[in-house]
Amino acid sequence: MLLAILNILFLLIVPFLFIGIINRTKAFWAGRRGAPVIQPIYDFIKLINKGEVISTTSSYIFKVYPVITYASIIFAGLLIPIISHKSVLDFKLNFILFAYILAFGKFFALIGAMDTGSSFEGIGASREVTFSTIAEPAFFIVIASFVALTGNYSFQDIFLFLQKSNTFVYLITVLSAVTFFIILLVEGSRVPVDDPNTHLELTMIHEVMVLDNSGPDLAFICHGAAIKMTIFAILIANLLLPERIGIIYSSLLLLVIISAISIVIGTIESLVARLRMTHVPQFIFISISVSLIMLSATLLFIYGGAK
Amino acid sequence: MIIFFLGISFILAGGFGALLINEKEKARCLAIFSGIGTFFILVPAIKVLVSGITITSTIKFTYPIGNVSLIIDPLSAFFLSLISIMSFIGIIYSIGYIKPYLHKRMAISSHYFFLSILVISMLLVCIVQNALAFLVVWEIMAISSFFLVIFESEKKEVIHAGINYIINMHIGLFILMVGFLILSINAGNVDFSSFKVLLNTNTSFTNTMFIIFFLGFGVKAGFFPVHTWLPRAHPAAPSHISGMMSGIMIKTGIYGILRILTLINKPSLTLSYFVLMISIISAVYGIIYAIRQNDIKKMLAYCSIENIGIIGIGIGIGMLGLSYNNNIVAIMGFSGSILHILNHSIFKGLLFYGAGFIYQKTHTKNMEHLGGLAKKMPAVSLLFLIGSIAISGLPPFNGFISEFIIYNGMFQSFLVRNPFILVTVIISVASLALVGAMALLCFTKAFSAIFLGNAKNTYTESINDMSPAMLVSMVVLAIFTLLIGLFPQYVFKLLINPVSVLVPSYHFSVESLNFVSTLSTLSWCIMAFIIIAGLIYLIRYLLLKQRSVYQYKTWDCGYQAGNNRMQYTSSSYADPFLSLTKPLVHNEVELTRIEGFFPQEASMKTHNHDVVEIYLLKPAFKGIKSLLNLFSWVQSGDTQLYIFYGLTSLVATLLWIMLAN
Repeated sequence: MLLAILNILFLLIVPFLFIGIINRTKAFWAGRRGAPVIQPIYDFIKLINKGEVISTTSSYIFKVYPVITYASIIFAGLLIPIISHKSVLDFKLNFILFAYILAFGKFFALIGAMDTGSSFEGIGASREVTFSTIAEPAFFIVIASFVALTGNYSFQDIFLFLQKSNTFVYLITVLSAVTFFIILLVEGSRVPVDDPNTHLELTMIHEVMVLDNSGPDLAFICHGAAIKMTIFAILIANLLLPERIGIIYSSLLLLVIISAISIVIGTIESLVARLRMTHVPQFIFISISVSLIMLSATLLFIYGGAK
Repeated sequence: MIIFFLGISFILAGGFGALLINEKEKARCLAIFSGIGTFFILVPAIKVLVSGITITSTIKFTYPIGNVSLIIDPLSAFFLSLISIMSFIGIIYSIGYIKPYLHKRMAISSHYFFLSILVISMLLVCIVQNALAFLVVWEIMAISSFFLVIFESEKKEVIHAGINYIINMHIGLFILMVGFLILSINAGNVDFSSFKVLLNTNTSFTNTMFIIFFLGFGVKAGFFPVHTWLPRAHPAAPSHISGMMSGIMIKTGIYGILRILTLINKPSLTLSYFVLMISIISAVYGIIYAIRQNDIKKMLAYCSIENIGIIGIGIGIGMLGLSYNNNIVAIMGFSGSILHILNHSIFKGLLFYGAGFIYQKTHTKNMEHLGGLAKKMPAVSLLFLIGSIAISGLPPFNGFISEFIIYNGMFQSFLVRNPFILVTVIISVASLALVGAMALLCFTKAFSAIFLGNAKNTYTESINDMSPAMLVSMVVLAIFTLLIGLFPQYVFKLLINPVSVLVPSYHFSVESLNFVSTLSTLSWCIMAFIIIAGLIYLIRYLLLKQRSVYQYKTWDCGYQAGNNRMQYTSSSYADPFLSLTKPLVHNEVELTRIEGFFPQEASMKTHNHDVVEIYLLKPAFKGIKSLLNLFSWVQSGDTQLYIFYGLTSLVATLLWIMLAN
């Protein structure tokens, strides 16, 4: 029970720091001092305390969608192992519920954006849905290969098995970490897929979908997006964590890996330009290719005797 | 069995009653009679479904058909309950839907008469065990549904679609006739049970027979590449008929495939791969074409092809399990596909009925011309939203559950240590995920184009009045989707008996018991999710209770002259994705470009064509036509010549008989 509460607290608080570190890294590369790491918390509180403006065009969908999307992301976070390699809700095939509940949240985010009748938000929604559609098979190929490799059927068991395994599995874990990282960039709308700092025509994906949201709704959306990125960072961290080393060390290590990932994201964002919109699908297809290479490595491991 | 026939005769009586009485009462008459009939049919069906016993009976006929044996086993019972309940709901819906057409007096009489015939023939298809009688009821089903499709027969495209439909059905029928002929000549009997020995001796013979039947039944079910009638017939038919055809009639094709499977003890690996491959192609092809459509009903028709593909993937996984003697894979595959049959008929009915309501009120099926209906008809929009989420396979609705079960079957099959299976199944996993994501795209597009944003047209008719019959039937379906989504464990238990017909050694095994507990955990989790969402909404409500929430126009980035036509339309929403699928489709674009500094006119027309129609069917039919044209001189139109033909053939036959003796 205590572990569950710790997991939930971790899930709700760390995303703020995740975004804070990214912003700090970007400030470093730009030669600025940057906002404090906990600035996103202040932003969240500021937004929570505001009133709202609601578009006259919108219907009931617009009022409920931030809540549903936010809830779906938090719920997805309950399915993955965080502190002490344990997830709050652990059952067979929970990774399918993970993917589908995130998709449920995305469904509402998309129709919520379309509800305002704004052409800008339409652009964002149509691009977002295209990119996440292409990214979907990669996640399932990775997970299916994990199931085939480990013979286990839930996030927690799969990661425990991988953490115990021998050297050859490292190749597979690294490849899957790359896939997850690309999915993180797509789902979190980061460079090179999307530039979160602007919402002008050039980069209209995620940021432009929320143009009309304000107050608590916007706070939910921003926090939700941060949690979603952190979830994928936690998945990557779980691949890299060593076998049981005690709750304190493992959570510290988890924090270190997540911070490293956020520094990497910040660095990429500072050094790499955003891809042209027509080239983004090709970038996302890389994730599918990497997941297929990972599948081949898995086959090699199971049937090729590479042990 | 007698109770079952009592139910059938009630429905028939309703059909005849509808011929006789006043127009306004026809729908109600059939609804009442079919309600009673449904009750009587459900009595034996539910009994068989729950207890797992099999009811058999024989009707004695003379020469051409012979004795017709009837059987209600759990598989038939499942289909009987599905067909009777869903057609009853469809008839209830039609009470409201038919109102604007009441002036078409004769058409309505025949419509309700053939509706009752269609329901009866669908029910009989599921219990008849005699090849000849089966073909007869199968043909009655095709003909009666043809008359239902051409209800608005004064429209040219409706007649065109109807004729296309009837030709397709007869191609399917001929394939089935060939299949049944080969079997009954070899077996010397037309009874299904006598085929069993035949289908379990020679593997290559079994494979060929199964592929023939798969093709024949596939025309009805709408598998790729014999699906082309669906996107024509569904938009042409009235909405309750499209809902029933897509929801239950095409499932009789699936029933046929499953019935043939029960005759095969152990399908070969080749067959499993064949079914899996065709189904994956159907699913992907169907949903890509669904995304391309702007006609609501056409989109739903292509989406049926996608869902038939998902059902087929389940069947393929089940067959894979059977051929590897892996019971749990077989159980999960078949359970998933049978549950998806039920689920699809529920949410597809819901969506078609919603589309019918929209068509009735706005007189258009084109999504590009709709918009902003969520504020005008909130109830329908909510029901349509539920259907959209369910058909995208998302929790907490029923579509997720059947896909979850199929996924489970796929992941279980990894335990069979075989690299080919592993690769095939991982490809199927990825395709099922991709299809789910594309369905999400398709239905976010449809929902937002129809219901959200600003209206792109002004609607003259008052939109609020909704006939209670239509509302009730849609609400009932929506409740079904939610109940199956929230309590999957009980539904899974109900599937044990139908699945055990297909997987003979299915005793309630430990694995499936474990899976029931997984499903109940899943249902708790989904409820927990609903509670979390409710709590967050409560927080939002409390936060905003005392603050200013005011309405203002949509933020347009400083551009002050925005209008309704600047919104994202359904085709612009789908365009980024569709531009990636260009190699798979055939798009004809007529474009008048703008020229000069002060351009005057510009226009663009796009025509969506089905690749199968353009590159496969058209050349094939052209070839057949040119071949047959070679014999056109035979038909001169001269009566004397025809008499000469008759005489010559008579003499030739006589000579042949004499020489043979």
